[in-house]
Amino acid sequence: MLRLKVARTSDILGCAVQIHEVCEFRMDSRDTVFSSEDDNSLYFTYSGKSNTLEVRDLNYQVNLAAQIPWYEKLAELKMPWEWNTGPESHMLSIQNLNFKVSSGQMLAVIGSSGCGKTSLLDIITCKDEGGKITTGKLLINGKLSTRQIVKKCAAHVRQDDRLLPNLTVRETLLFVAKLRLPKTFTEVQREKRVEDVIAELRLRQCGNTRVGNEYVRGVSGGERRRVSIGVQLLWNPGILILDEPTSGLDSFTAHNLVITLSRLARGNRLVVLSIHQPRSDIFQLFDLVLLLSSGATIYSGTACDMVQYFATIGYPCPKYCNPADFYVDLASVDRRSREEEMVCLEKTRSLTALFWEKVKDSDDFLWKTREGNKIVGSSDEQGAYAISETAINVDSQLMDQLPGGFRQFCILLRRQVSNDFRDLAMLLIHGSEALLMSLLIGFLYYGHGGKSLSIQDTTALLYMIGALTPFAVVLDVIAKCHSERAMLYHELEDGMYSVTPYFFAKILGELPEHCAFVVMYGVPIYWLANLIPEPEHFLLNFLLVWLVVYCSRTMALWIAALLPTLQLSSFIGNAFFNSFYLTGGFIISLENLWAVPRGISEISFLRWGFEGLMQVQFRGLTYSIPFGNFSIQIPGTLVLSDMGLNSEPLYACYLVLLGISAGFMFLYFLSLKFIKQKSGQDW
Amino acid sequence: MVVRRVPIIFNEGILSEHVGPWWNLKSYRHKKTRQILKDVSIYVESGQLMGILGNSGSGKTTLLDALSGRIGKGTFLGDVYVNGQKLKKTQFQNCFSYVLQTDTLLSYLTVQETLTYTALLALQKHSSVSIRKKVDSVMAELSLSHVTSHLIGGRVFSGISGGERRRVSIAAQLIQDPKIILLDEPTTGLDSMTANHIVTLLSELSRKGRIVIISIHQPRSELFKVFDKIAIMSCGELIFCGNPQEMIDFFTNCGYPCPEHSNPFDFYVDVTSVDTRSIVREMETYNRVHTITSAYRNSDYFLRTLEAIENAKHRKDLPPLPFKNQDPPSVISKLCVLLRRTIRNLSRNRTGIILRLFQNLIFGFFIAFFLTRLKMDVHQGAIQDRMGVIYQCVGATPYTGMLNAVVLFPALRAISDQESKDGLYQRWQMLLAYILHILPFSILGMAIFSTFIYWTVGLHPEAARFACFFAAVLVPHLIGELLTLVLLGVVQNPNIVNSAVALINIAGILVGSGILRSLDEMPKAFELLSYLTYQKYSSEILVINEFYDLNFTCDGRNSSAGAGSGSYCLFAQGNQFIEKTYPGGLSRFTFDFVMLYAFLPSLVILGIISFKLREIIIHRH
Repeated sequence: MLRLKVARTSDILGCAVQIHEVCEFRMDSRDTVFSSEDDNSLYFTYSGKSNTLEVRDLNYQVNLAAQIPWYEKLAELKMPWEWNTGPESHMLSIQNLNFKVSSGQMLAVIGSSGCGKTSLLDIITCKDEGGKITTGKLLINGKLSTRQIVKKCAAHVRQDDRLLPNLTVRETLLFVAKLRLPKTFTEVQREKRVEDVIAELRLRQCGNTRVGNEYVRGVSGGERRRVSIGVQLLWNPGILILDEPTSGLDSFTAHNLVITLSRLARGNRLVVLSIHQPRSDIFQLFDLVLLLSSGATIYSGTACDMVQYFATIGYPCPKYCNPADFYVDLASVDRRSREEEMVCLEKTRSLTALFWEKVKDSDDFLWKTREGNKIVGSSDEQGAYAISETAINVDSQLMDQLPGGFRQFCILLRRQVSNDFRDLAMLLIHGSEALLMSLLIGFLYYGHGGKSLSIQDTTALLYMIGALTPFAVVLDVIAKCHSERAMLYHELEDGMYSVTPYFFAKILGELPEHCAFVVMYGVPIYWLANLIPEPEHFLLNFLLVWLVVYCSRTMALWIAALLPTLQLSSFIGNAFFNSFYLTGGFIISLENLWAVPRGISEISFLRWGFEGLMQVQFRGLTYSIPFGNFSIQIPGTLVLSDMGLNSEPLYACYLVLLGISAGFMFLYFLSLKFIKQKSGQDW
Repeated sequence: MVVRRVPIIFNEGILSEHVGPWWNLKSYRHKKTRQILKDVSIYVESGQLMGILGNSGSGKTTLLDALSGRIGKGTFLGDVYVNGQKLKKTQFQNCFSYVLQTDTLLSYLTVQETLTYTALLALQKHSSVSIRKKVDSVMAELSLSHVTSHLIGGRVFSGISGGERRRVSIAAQLIQDPKIILLDEPTTGLDSMTANHIVTLLSELSRKGRIVIISIHQPRSELFKVFDKIAIMSCGELIFCGNPQEMIDFFTNCGYPCPEHSNPFDFYVDVTSVDTRSIVREMETYNRVHTITSAYRNSDYFLRTLEAIENAKHRKDLPPLPFKNQDPPSVISKLCVLLRRTIRNLSRNRTGIILRLFQNLIFGFFIAFFLTRLKMDVHQGAIQDRMGVIYQCVGATPYTGMLNAVVLFPALRAISDQESKDGLYQRWQMLLAYILHILPFSILGMAIFSTFIYWTVGLHPEAARFACFFAAVLVPHLIGELLTLVLLGVVQNPNIVNSAVALINIAGILVGSGILRSLDEMPKAFELLSYLTYQKYSSEILVINEFYDLNFTCDGRNSSAGAGSGSYCLFAQGNQFIEKTYPGGLSRFTFDFVMLYAFLPSLVILGIISFKLREIIIHRH
């Protein structure tokens, strides 16, 4: 230890020298901490006319109570008659907002939570979240914004990345390019566009990596966020709106992402983003900043002038302090106690009034330093970029013509199949689940050798074949649909495709997995249990199992599309399945059912499957049962009629099953078409 | 209060950990290890608040884990000295209090109750008056006095705010009067104002003669002056440790002056992080970090730390080790406290109680709705329907038990994980308390269910038989819940447990019940297996209970004389049916009951074993 100490003391002598050396190593601090990218060129710029977004005297009111969905109210045991919303639930979330931005600018909306950032983005993207504009208007290129105009020129990147996890980055973008770009594009042009976007977003090195999600390993979080941006960028929107794009990213990644966004803005786009609390390095990258506090504008103007503005009104930013943090805190409302809240609100009000005084006479409602500096990067200087890309510039009439329904169907089908078949883990789990089940039942009813199964055992076996596995299928399908639905509803909302092609693609895309599953489940049982070995009996049996499992699949699809949360869907799925199970004809004898359950049993696919399976096995067979000294001959049809399973001919069972699955499919289609599930409800 | 100087020292802490997936045997054999902490030395004195900064993956949480003695898998080299005495590994836990990043609290208790129960678990020889005083003083210290009787709240219903919840977590640790408190990211997930408030509060705590060490992700610049010491970590190395002014001087000297309008914490953390996104960047940033580290190692600050460490080791006038206030109560009284706490928690959970009492009843409604009333005629399904009812009673009641446990237990499990690490009690004690507290609810719930189903459907109308029915249906329900608990001990994800228990139940009913597959015709292996299923015993009891001495009609005729000519009534008498399905079953009636009830204690024991295993598994990770 002593020796060590000596060694360290001697080091000190060298210390001063070394620090000196370090000083020579010094670089200009800020830029070197974050890599300034070597490649600053623009690969893909916006080629349309430049856009302006203008907000005038906007007041927006939200109804807080209406934002809580009904199932959450039910979960809190609040009954419908307690839902009535008092007047206090209406809150003015944006007050007297004015600003004007145009292409080439990046506007960051900052403020603490509840300041109206989300409401503002909702208004711009025309999303209905239970609020209404009381006064004022929103103009895009001087025209009052409508849902159609917004859809045509603005893209919305959501906070959470909803992408298919098993596609690569390039495939993800390519599928979107096929769906989203107008008909007139050739394949080559589409691929070129995808490459341009990949280059623009600096995704080249991970182009062939899977996207991944929280369970599947894939690209990093920042890259995934950029893929989400790329999905929107593909169709070349003039306005790009991003909701909290940096949340959940580490500092380097967040910094790089904002650099990317500012580059996109330089490419003649209009970028609006909301951000909770930007770090100082990110704050410096913004062009324009809009600081909100409980819906009121505290500051809007260039980012670099913000410190100066607040200094002139008497709030200088202290040294070593992030101005964004400092001024967001200044403007935020402390709701911990009533008195403090009043004080804060009063302060906010005076700040708002002060700001309004300064800008009310200006044209774009942005604060400028006294010298009247021109605001950087407005569209005129950037116009040059627009010319370079004329090759892909298409007449705006043709822009609206997206691929037709059948093409959409083909693309969606291919996308679904390629995503599902790469999900090896899931396939293995489902496959082994089916195999395990079938082996367990098969060996339990092992029927080779000595005598064949008794009547009771055969009946039980046939019922179990039809009833056990569909249950697992129902739960699996519901879970899968819920994991995909957020993406589905985003894409439907964006108008990328319509419901009909998706519906057919989904139905058809499920088929290969379904067939493999039924083969693995149905075949081993049949031979292990030594049911009637003729091939035609086997085929009839197999077809029935196929249909029953398919019915449960379509039912699960319907229920998943019908209900808002995974829990609700599984619960209702369970209830439906159990009703069909109990009325299936095995647990309770069919003849004992009173009117309502009898009705249910008419549409119970388990019952029809069971009836069919029984008829296949029992018709034309005679069982002899030892009874005391003599044995009784029991014809199979007697067993059938005893259980009430002889009501319809065999072919009717097939037809009914087909009808039931078609019915569920129809309901599924209706639910997709008419029930708009809000995105981001569960995951 | 006399401020005792309680220096703690970590000297040359090296922690390495096994990497690579467990199934990769090759990597396992190679013992590929990664050093997570490299040569970290810190010196802290009482009255100081120390903040550990660093990007994610820099090793700050590992450092705290190592200090609190919660490192299982890795090897920890190096010494920790408190008051000049070297700590043994077993003493870590008694010396340091650790507040985790997530607040694991019972959502239906008030703030005061939460703290009182913790005090009851930790302190024994205190009268209830002194415990109340203690709780009151702790609440006052953390300014929680205005919310004493508010519920904690959780995901479903809102209670106290996030900042208040965090303070309750800290208060729970303060109950034991620790002199050294470690906190892992206490400000994460809180808004800026609350976060600042918490850190200010922590600095006040440290002023009262404690050592407070926190790891913090992105502190705001306002907190600059609040910290007495700041340690910056990157890649497991200590880049810098010193007071805030020293930090600015040091980095300015290194050539990285903080820009004027920038948060120095953010800036320095970025300067010292390694950017792994590309090889070039990685080399560049790594070199930068390396230069800064070596500058620190050669600086005065580092030298002073080493000197202070050496001095403290040799000083003789320091007070003894400041152990936490620990005179724990006996196992029995701990169990009582845990039981009272879980009952109190459940008693306010409206949904939980309704779930427990009426879930089965809903299911009973379901059966009764479809079945209405049992008939006596074989040709109208007298036997089939009865078997159907029994099958459902054996098959579905474990399922509801499982659902209860899957929904309600994981929250308690999380709390027991944390509190057992704090040394308050052991995990199996919590399990036992849980099992005890579900008993009355399960019994009541099943009583409601069986009363309803028995008399509505019209099973054998005899009071004694009803009692038997209830006794035989109760057990599967309890087994379902106990089995889930056993699996929840070793499997973390409740969804997997859910599917596993469902599968075990289905397999059990197929193999054991004799309803779906006649027992005497099964392959031998399955027949042996069936003795291990509770379904065998419970369905045998239920079938015998129902069918014994029950005479059916056949097409309206009372044919007690066996099979009439032309009629295919195989079983006109219940006894025949019993003889057919369970040969010799009548003589086994009592035996079946004994076997069935034997499942309960054995599952409890299994549960205790599984939670002991859990202790080992968690400790090794």
